[in-house]
Amino acid sequence: MNIDWLSGPLLQQLNSGVILLNKQLQIIYINPYICRRADIQLETVQGKDIFSVFTDAPQAWLSRKLNSVLSLQSPAFSSWEQRQYLFKLPHLRPVSSANQYMAQNCNMLPLTDPATGEQYVCLLIEDATDAYVYQSQLQQSNLQLQQVNRLDGLTGVLNRNYWQQQLEVEVQRAGRYQHPLSLLFFDLDKFKRLNDDYGHQAGDVVLIEVARLIGSLLRETDLFGRYGGEEFAIILPDTPLEGAIEVAKRICRRVAESPVVFQQQRLMTSVSVGVSQFNTAITADELIQQADLALYQAKRNGRNQVVTYHPGLIDSLKKVKS
Amino acid sequence: MTDLSFTEEQRDCLQELINVAMGLASDKLARFLNTFVHLQVPAIGLVNAAEIPEQFRGQYQGLHSSMISLGFFGDGGLRGETILLYQLENAGKIAALLGYDDDATSEAEMLTDISSILTTTFLNGLAEQLDNSFSYAAPRVISSRDNDFISKLEQTAFHWQLALKVDIRYELTDYSFDCNMILLIPGEAVLKLKTILDNVLADF
Repeated sequence: MNIDWLSGPLLQQLNSGVILLNKQLQIIYINPYICRRADIQLETVQGKDIFSVFTDAPQAWLSRKLNSVLSLQSPAFSSWEQRQYLFKLPHLRPVSSANQYMAQNCNMLPLTDPATGEQYVCLLIEDATDAYVYQSQLQQSNLQLQQVNRLDGLTGVLNRNYWQQQLEVEVQRAGRYQHPLSLLFFDLDKFKRLNDDYGHQAGDVVLIEVARLIGSLLRETDLFGRYGGEEFAIILPDTPLEGAIEVAKRICRRVAESPVVFQQQRLMTSVSVGVSQFNTAITADELIQQADLALYQAKRNGRNQVVTYHPGLIDSLKKVKS
Repeated sequence: MTDLSFTEEQRDCLQELINVAMGLASDKLARFLNTFVHLQVPAIGLVNAAEIPEQFRGQYQGLHSSMISLGFFGDGGLRGETILLYQLENAGKIAALLGYDDDATSEAEMLTDISSILTTTFLNGLAEQLDNSFSYAAPRVISSRDNDFISKLEQTAFHWQLALKVDIRYELTDYSFDCNMILLIPGEAVLKLKTILDNVLADF
């Protein structure tokens, strides 16, 4: 059975793009799939340099690749995952895809005319927009999941798990580059009583509002997390002790002078803050312990104040226990 | 169970065909890359695919490596997959090697580009020697700058019973560049390969 008639209609109706170039990278043939999408006529582009017709194509890279196909007589490939498209062509999902151009997979094949021995390179172009769209959506939801996984559901600050991971990272960085690093631990004063007097909803509102207020006082690089119930912690990278104490005092003052409104009532609240500074002799856990100890001392001293860790605190704590 | 192992004659024959294919590839690559390419005679061994991850664990321990896979199909049931392993130190040299002077080419793209050039040039030569011709799938990045590429290799090697392991070292005058190539051939294709080798031997 003779099937010589097949290739003509197949090229006409093929749901992939076919571009045939000669050794000078001039256009010999383009099938209707490409002509229609690029809005060009085969007769008007035949014999023209491919890059004079598709002016946006990555010329330096693509011509190097096409020349590798010709000189090595080996196929080459381009995948949408590495290069989203070679040619700016529209796709058929203009509504559901945010991306303007068709994502493309391309096979570049060496071909030889059996009659003349003339060598050509053929580009087969497939629409990979669907895969591209699915992958983008997947990445988007992964990103969202990752974010949710890092944040505290109530206050929107970092959750304890992620905050502690970040502390390890920052401690390593500070140790490696000899940068200062400080830590603040703070606790809402008499939070239990607030819950008892006004209800847990009021307590939640106070947590949310205080976290929002403190967040607005911090730099982009500071890492603010919820450590437990009403206990919060802030990593201050590149900050020596004096700077950290200043931030802590500002937090203390602003919280005390900013009442939280809950059901037409103005709830007054305050925080006690413990401050510690990293040095290469201590671990992340010890840094937390020191800030926690200072916080404990701030509570004992009468709340609504800042205490900085110093080794003497350990002795005073021992006295309390005995 | 069918014996997949090669006779000494078959092994020698394959070694010879691979040497010729290497020579062809080295010549083509030298002309394309515009630099003298010295291709060391590769070490060829048939190994159990399951042993490969362990071998590479020893060889690449602690190094960040990139791994690129490229599958191929030939006539007569011959098929397989090549895996190229690069150490990260070499990745930066690839742009210069390929003559890419724009910054728009990502590292992953450079790795797939050089991999398809190295792999298909060699395999085309091998196909020619076997009186066959291969068609190729697009190269895939299996792992990029990854410390844990061994576990990914384990997942890949799992699908193959017997592997023809070809270690190629490319030495280029102007660049110091090397990579390892593994050719994986599944069990039934190994039988086809043995038949093909017997035919080649019969022609001598």
